[in-house]
Amino acid sequence: MIIKSLLEKLKLMKNYFFAFMLVIGLQSFAQNKTIASGEKLVYTASYNMSGILTDIAQVKMETSEVKTSKSTLLRLKCTAATFKKWDNFFKIRDLYESYVNPKTLTPYLYKRDISEGGYYKFMQYKFSHKTNTVQSNRKKKRGDGTIWETNKTLKLSPSTKDLVTTLYSIRNMDIHKANPGDQQNLTVLFDNEETVISVRYVSKETISTNIGRKECYKLAISMLNGNVLKGSNSNLIWLTADQNKIPVYAKFKIPVGNGELKIDSASGLKY
Amino acid sequence: MKKVFIVLGFITAILATILAVTPLSNLAIIPIIVAFLCGLMILFISKKQNTKTKTIQYIFLLVIISLALTIYKGVFNTTELGDTEQLEQRAEENLEDSKEILEDLEIDEDL
Repeated sequence: MIIKSLLEKLKLMKNYFFAFMLVIGLQSFAQNKTIASGEKLVYTASYNMSGILTDIAQVKMETSEVKTSKSTLLRLKCTAATFKKWDNFFKIRDLYESYVNPKTLTPYLYKRDISEGGYYKFMQYKFSHKTNTVQSNRKKKRGDGTIWETNKTLKLSPSTKDLVTTLYSIRNMDIHKANPGDQQNLTVLFDNEETVISVRYVSKETISTNIGRKECYKLAISMLNGNVLKGSNSNLIWLTADQNKIPVYAKFKIPVGNGELKIDSASGLKY
Repeated sequence: MKKVFIVLGFITAILATILAVTPLSNLAIIPIIVAFLCGLMILFISKKQNTKTKTIQYIFLLVIISLALTIYKGVFNTTELGDTEQLEQRAEENLEDSKEILEDLEIDEDL
């Protein structure tokens, strides 16, 4: 008798477990309620050492619509360019872009085209969601100027996204439903490897920015199996606590000193 | 004691000058202050000992040069963006290339 009831309980638990997994699975295909096409956010990146700030680069995040013969996609484009005074010293011209489904922010194509002080790298991921694979294509410039190309097919978990899409999907999370301390893990594909990052809602804070005083959600981002973003409370991002959830300020720790990202302007917002 | 200040003063003064020349001129303020304080200390010590030290002049000279450069850069340098033409061109090329790739990709509207 006892064994039978135990078995029944186990069966019930199994059902709950599947329902739970389904909810988690659905969450990763959540509807896009935040990001519209035509949005443009401009930031200034600066380096901060013991209170002295030096502006280094301008970072832009833009969205636009891209039409193909079969469908319409959303193009998420992030560019970074150093200021003139740095160009002779260390010139950065980076381009990160991702083509996603406008309804669900599922990535189809990701490109990273970076040029940093003579170093050039190109990375492309073609997502195939039916087979849960990614075709990766990497081009690197050798010392003598020739291009070295590698192609690979990678197996992925269904919820894995690229870097740019992950940045935008953080904005699409239902933070207003979360309590301080709540945490969500996201899987990011970067440099042909899946990395798990965790996003934790810290608190609500009101900060003054270049676009006015804003009430913000303060989120802490950390990497579970990497070395780049270390520490649980040293990489922070502030998203406005409205429906747009624009990132207005970010702080990240690097070995010497720390970096900051401040918003300069925001236009074309959805709400 | 004096020697320590001379060495420290020289190192920080040279570091300040180097930083002041690079785009990191804002960060030169810290070594400028340290070098200046070291210079003052050497001056104080040599006055007490009634000796003349030439190094003070060099340290102060370097401090003045780097301070002038830092202030000049702070006042006249605006954060201006360099040429982004190449970047925009690359973005455009990538967009055209992406459109071709996306034509061939199978896109499921529901995913």
